[in-house]
Amino acid sequence: MSFYFAIVGTKDNPIYEAEFGTSKQGGDGVARFREEQRSMNQFIVHSSLDIVEEVQWATPTMYMKCVDKFNNLLVSCFLTAGNIKFLLLHDQKADDAIRQFFTDVYDLYTKTLMNPFYEVDMRITSGVFDGKVKQAAKKYL
Amino acid sequence: MSSAFPSLRTRPTLPAPGVSRATSVYLRSSTTAPVHSSVTSLNSLFNQTNLNSPRLPDGEDCKGLVCRAFVPHIAVHVSDDTNELAREKGFVDFKDMLRPYGESIQGRITIRDSQGISTTHDDYGVRFVSLTDVAGSGEKWESGASRAMNGSSEKAASSGSGVFQGGSVEEVEELVNLHMERAEELNETSLPSDGDTPTFNQSFYMLYLRRILSALPLSPHETFSHPVACVIAISSRNANPIDSLRSLYNSGNQLPLPNYLSTDYLRYYVLVHDEDRDDIKKSTILFDQMKKHFGLHCHLLRLRSGGASVISDDDAVIVPKSQWVSAAEELHEIRSRDYEDEQPTTCLPDSDATGIQTMVREMAQVSVIPFMERCIATWNDQVASRRRGISGRFLSMSKRYFTASSSRNSTSSSSNYDALSQSYPPSSPEAQMRKLADYAFMVRDWRLAHSIYELLRTDFNNDKAWKYHAGAQEMAAISLILTGTGLTSKVRADTIAPMLDLSCYSYLSRCSATYNALRCLLVAVELLRIRGGGAADEAATWAIRARDMNAQGTIGHTLITERVGACYTIREGIGSGAWGARKRKAAMWKMLAAGEWLEVGKLAQSRRCLDTALPVYQGSRFLHIHSFMEHLKQQAGYTPLLVDLQDGRRRGGGDGEEEDSDEEEGVEIQSETLHAGFKRKSLIVGREVEREVENEAESGLDRFVDS
Repeated sequence: MSFYFAIVGTKDNPIYEAEFGTSKQGGDGVARFREEQRSMNQFIVHSSLDIVEEVQWATPTMYMKCVDKFNNLLVSCFLTAGNIKFLLLHDQKADDAIRQFFTDVYDLYTKTLMNPFYEVDMRITSGVFDGKVKQAAKKYL
Repeated sequence: MSSAFPSLRTRPTLPAPGVSRATSVYLRSSTTAPVHSSVTSLNSLFNQTNLNSPRLPDGEDCKGLVCRAFVPHIAVHVSDDTNELAREKGFVDFKDMLRPYGESIQGRITIRDSQGISTTHDDYGVRFVSLTDVAGSGEKWESGASRAMNGSSEKAASSGSGVFQGGSVEEVEELVNLHMERAEELNETSLPSDGDTPTFNQSFYMLYLRRILSALPLSPHETFSHPVACVIAISSRNANPIDSLRSLYNSGNQLPLPNYLSTDYLRYYVLVHDEDRDDIKKSTILFDQMKKHFGLHCHLLRLRSGGASVISDDDAVIVPKSQWVSAAEELHEIRSRDYEDEQPTTCLPDSDATGIQTMVREMAQVSVIPFMERCIATWNDQVASRRRGISGRFLSMSKRYFTASSSRNSTSSSSNYDALSQSYPPSSPEAQMRKLADYAFMVRDWRLAHSIYELLRTDFNNDKAWKYHAGAQEMAAISLILTGTGLTSKVRADTIAPMLDLSCYSYLSRCSATYNALRCLLVAVELLRIRGGGAADEAATWAIRARDMNAQGTIGHTLITERVGACYTIREGIGSGAWGARKRKAAMWKMLAAGEWLEVGKLAQSRRCLDTALPVYQGSRFLHIHSFMEHLKQQAGYTPLLVDLQDGRRRGGGDGEEEDSDEEEGVEIQSETLHAGFKRKSLIVGREVEREVENEAESGLDRFVDS
């Protein structure tokens, strides 16, 4: 089970991307995507923004659960207050684990936002952020 | 979304666009189009919707296509001298002469539905088939299993004997491939052709769909291709006309028709009068005699004799090409044409063409349609209402419960279904009801058709007549979509989706009838797609299902991939942000299709897909998307004409990426001159020069000279 996680800015631009595998059931936390699947992942996530933009008006919560599906791949979404989307591509349903993961990432993102040198829609290149996201992934997914 | 948008729309006063612009930048998420406010005034909301609405290109009347695919079939059984007459005029036989005129009947056809309300249709048609072909093709459909086992040998046999039948996905594919290759050649070597051959828009898919729906194969489980009427014709050259009519009648009955075919169709007698060779007085007397013998369903067709007329003749008109020939036949025709130098265009004198048109029209309006209306009324009264009534319900229920409990053996004996030949005899109430429903469908009384299919669904299920069951499910879903009222998302999810699903399941895993399953899905996709909104989403889902079915070869697969994109394209957004639109999804599927076209070496197709997909991905910061896009562009030899134009338009709005996109274009122009046709090149070079003059003249001129 592999995950592709992307934070997408207000202009459909990726702010942060990461790939990781599951750490449950003896997984080593390494993503196993074939090379051609990589571009497909991005296509799927990008196209699911259409659904996100529709669902966001009808869902009371910021976590929209699973919004889209392509073949056997699912896309879960979390919308922040600033219209930044957290999108996670996964292949098994795990609503609660993903919610916890998103909540952690939201904290991390908010802290990044507090950085006076960071502006909205800027790419997040911080190694600390990256490390902490991976940690959260290891913990929940 | 449905709950959110109405409230937005009904709010009377919203801040003016300008006020909230600054704050709303972060709320928006679309890359293209200049920034509008996320909350707009009521007026601009509606204006924008109109502007953004995608327009259907011409020739994409999908509902019409489906309606015209399911029309009454009329068998033709004529004497040899009549065929001889047609042959002298340059046709294969008499049927061949009638066929093009049957496909679109001139003028309007009035049909009364079961409620007694008349409706007129101006795109009605009938199909003429040869009665001997019907008899010949039926045997293959005796059982699905035998066909599946020796399909290839039958194909060879059928093309040898000259019987062309639809229902073969491979042949359709082959045909589309052939057309596509020709178009590809044309596009590479010369200017894109205009009009004659199906060039680029959606038309390759439409051709595919049309050929899938052409020449519906004869099968026990649906009666669309069973003849509704039979034309029995003799010519005035005949020595003893009444006798030969009688023998035609008898030989028509004695033909080895498949036993699931009901033979009580309408007989329509035609006397073909040869204007130049025979005396009209004699013919009129004969015609009166015919009327006396055979009743009202007679027609006197006056044709000029003489050889084939050519286009240079004074009053010659070109016979329209038959639109609904089967893929096998068209393939055969194209291949035989390859050996000859020029295309044979058959012509008829003007008076002959009008005569045939009038005959077909009269036959449909005065005889065939009323005959069908009568059949519908009778069966509806006698068979369907008995089944629908309280006793019928009790009967079917008791049949289900008591027989099942009493003994196993009696289940089979109590039902009319013959498991061996996998069909109902034509006199059984089930077969008659299916016929009733199909007739109702063909005269476009969707509501009645739907109610009968609904009844049949359960009956066939109880009898475990799976192909019948699948067919009834299919048509129940399609007729429900065609009724067009009250098709809410709930109905779609609760009624139509399970019906289509079950139908596909039955066709595929119980009968291994991939053609039928594919047809069912594609028709449903088209009908749902034109409804727009949420239905278009479902259309896309079903199209994806059809794509995953793997019943088609690569061409069909890619065409359907592209169609998924088209399903998403049709969905309009609401408001200036076009919320609820499926722009990105459409682009993704087009991109996938572009990739698949490349794999099968159809560069022109691939470029066309890229044209529509690229605007969405232009300037995308997703690395893999970007590299994938560049890769495709390079492989397809893509020229950024469309993107370029839109870029230029956007530049008026002004965003920050002008420099690097200019660089890109400079590089692209070098490669495009190698590939593109003359028109495109000159256009771009012209624009190029214009821009260069503004900027740096020297380098631009160098490049211009180079190219």
